[in-house]
Amino acid sequence: MQRRTFLQSFAAAGALAALPLGMSKSLAAQQDAVSVKDLPALKGDLTLYLGRGEGGLYEKVLDAIRQRNPGLNLQIRRGATAALANTIVAEAQAGVRRADLFWAVDTGSIGMITDAGLAKPLPDDLTAQLQPGFQYPLWSPVTGRVRTLPYNTDRLTADKIPDNIMALADSNLDIGWAPAYASFQSFLTAMRILEGEKATLDWLKGVNKHAKNYAGELGVVMAVERGEVDVGLANHYYTLRLKAGKPDASVDLAFTNADAGCLVNASGILSLTTDELTFNFMRYLLSAEVQAYLSSEAYEIPLVRGIKSPTGLPDLSSLNPPDLDLRKLADLRPTLNLMRKAGVL
Amino acid sequence: MRAVPKSYPIAFLIAFLAVLPLSVLFTLASDTSGLFDTHNLRVLGNTMALVGLTIVGAVVLGVPLALLTTYVKMPLQRFWLVLLAAPLAMPSYIGAFTMYFALGPGGEIENLLGIPTPSIGGLWGTAIVMSLYTYPFVMLTTRASLLSLDGSLVSAARTLGMSLPASLAHVVLPRIMRSVGAGALLAALYALSDFGTPAILRLDTFTRVIFVEYNAFGLSQAAMLSIQLLVIVALVLFVESTIKGGTERPGKQLWLWPKPWQRYVMLLCSLPVVLMAIVLPLSIFLVWLIREGAGDFDVSYAINSAYASLLAAIAAVVLAIPVAHAAISGRAGRLMERITYFGFGVPGIVMGTALVYVGLKLPFLYQTLGLLVIAYVLRFLPLAVGSVRTTAERLDPSLVKAARLLGASPGEAFRRITLPLTYRGMVAGAALVFLEVMRELPATLMLGPTGFETLATYMWRVYEAGYFGMAAIPGLLLVFLSGIGLMIMLTGEGGNRLKLNEE
Repeated sequence: MQRRTFLQSFAAAGALAALPLGMSKSLAAQQDAVSVKDLPALKGDLTLYLGRGEGGLYEKVLDAIRQRNPGLNLQIRRGATAALANTIVAEAQAGVRRADLFWAVDTGSIGMITDAGLAKPLPDDLTAQLQPGFQYPLWSPVTGRVRTLPYNTDRLTADKIPDNIMALADSNLDIGWAPAYASFQSFLTAMRILEGEKATLDWLKGVNKHAKNYAGELGVVMAVERGEVDVGLANHYYTLRLKAGKPDASVDLAFTNADAGCLVNASGILSLTTDELTFNFMRYLLSAEVQAYLSSEAYEIPLVRGIKSPTGLPDLSSLNPPDLDLRKLADLRPTLNLMRKAGVL
Repeated sequence: MRAVPKSYPIAFLIAFLAVLPLSVLFTLASDTSGLFDTHNLRVLGNTMALVGLTIVGAVVLGVPLALLTTYVKMPLQRFWLVLLAAPLAMPSYIGAFTMYFALGPGGEIENLLGIPTPSIGGLWGTAIVMSLYTYPFVMLTTRASLLSLDGSLVSAARTLGMSLPASLAHVVLPRIMRSVGAGALLAALYALSDFGTPAILRLDTFTRVIFVEYNAFGLSQAAMLSIQLLVIVALVLFVESTIKGGTERPGKQLWLWPKPWQRYVMLLCSLPVVLMAIVLPLSIFLVWLIREGAGDFDVSYAINSAYASLLAAIAAVVLAIPVAHAAISGRAGRLMERITYFGFGVPGIVMGTALVYVGLKLPFLYQTLGLLVIAYVLRFLPLAVGSVRTTAERLDPSLVKAARLLGASPGEAFRRITLPLTYRGMVAGAALVFLEVMRELPATLMLGPTGFETLATYMWRVYEAGYFGMAAIPGLLLVFLSGIGLMIMLTGEGGNRLKLNEE
């Protein structure tokens, strides 16, 4: 049981020995991910608003942190990301603060809180651990996800898929997408920023002619695997998780090049207090052990330096994501207007 | 000048409290400029069609099942009733999701059994799923009024040569129209406010538009759209209020004693409903459980669920009594009662946010179980009010007058006449609230104490993460606990029946 060993070794701080050799080596460098062994013990009350419904793996991480820090009284409130962001704003308006930390599934909610002036600046050593391009003063990415094109391997080969996302509109492929899904809207916002409104509108109209709607991107990936469509638009981890449970699944990943189609977005965490405890808690989430675990088990992309990408996914350095300030993705309204204009929402 | 009915002040206070979260909606919506987008007209059509079909479906399933569970003597009477009411405890998004993946080409049923099934989706698919998860509203409200009907009238009709189906249609049905209407109203409001089911089955409804706005950080737009949705709610409420009913003298309950084979045919006919609504989702989860393994599950989630649901059920019924009586007493009271219905028609996530603003006005209550129960009561009060009202309004007022004339105080008349005769409505109301709270999600997430985990929130968590196997155990427990809760409440109902029917 890989999950159980993680818990035990983490609790005993022996996790370092269990890590692959290459990684323990890379931990030696100063700016790289820090081991939990070198982090101070967490003591006191801490309330985390967790804007993601993840069961299982995140639970394991939080449980492991609890076990390692008996003096920590960690309370967690879960909810839809936007709902928790609205709650934090409502609390601030009423002069009440219940959350110390906000961990959000998408950068849009992060943008909402930082725009409201509620996030506190992070210590420099914390942001310095992150990969270049992912260092922000008011929030820290935890793990990343890349936009991918999952395709049905019975119906297609990778070379039939354009490596330019804009070319998808003129292809004759059956496409599955989830326009109401937050990740899709972030991706489309990136396209709007990178390619402009006109091109995005044309793209939407073009793809819409041969696209099928799904409620979520897990649904998209399952539809691709079932052969309902040829290719889908989805975050990478749904495909990897599906394949982990069903190794012979007829689905594989294709990537575009340097456009919104291979945007790397992140889940993020921010502090609502200047208490050192909240920063130390963040340091635990960015520790080598947690990052490696989330990579190997949840198939999320580690964003601190020196941790491997999940198996089944090319390394972050070999992907060619577009250059973009992720917080700009919070500007969803013009995107939604475009989607309505194109009749896809 | 007549005196103001005694129930008015309390009912007014309750209606006022129920309106508070709605008034927050107006404050939140004041930031937005756009009033109505013509694009919304398209989804308006879908929404109305879904509501209409759901009403039809819920009534077609609910009324016969109410007759079956109330009038037909059969072994394990209570077991069947509980089983048939259980879909109300199952979150409909879970049902929609499992049905979506079980049916159709390449679905789990075809994979496992090799039987090809048609896929489910669109308007008809959504209406079917919605009906499966809302018919218990109709079944329970109808049953409550069937129980307090005088069965001798049917016996009289039959003695006079009317066939059984004809006497049910001409004697029973007209007298339960109000209750059927009350149940159908709840089904309609549920269909209006539910997000998950239409989203999964790919039907574009008003709630989906609201949800998209909400998630795009357009809280004010979502609030504005919810206010527009209230217009539809008002329309549905108006239509329901035009259904007429009469007053009724209580009497002996009707029992039918069919031959064993007839009984089995009837049960067999009702089985597909349970199979689709309960057995199918749980079996799919079990398949996934075997494939993926169970997660860590804490029994405290189940206890939290049952405890909060029970508190909310009791509180809702206690508050529903004055509102229901005010509704019978006069036009103003009727208006107060109608107001309490609005909260049920607003999507949970918007209502949850509004309640956060209300809760923050009471910092000592904010994020406590107390506030959560208040939120449940404000949202689900109409479930209790509808059942209590329909049994109370068929009560012949001359009975209370007779008691008063014979020297009973108003309190004693209520305790000895009104209460026993409306008790079934209260039990049905409590049962509805109990089941609905068991599956409630947005308010539980947003208003419960931090770290307060229920079966519904746990199922949501694992569902969101895509670990469906882990939803099997909480899903089973949800059905099981709802069964026990119903069992307890229905025992109260049975005890009461004995007293009433002694002759």
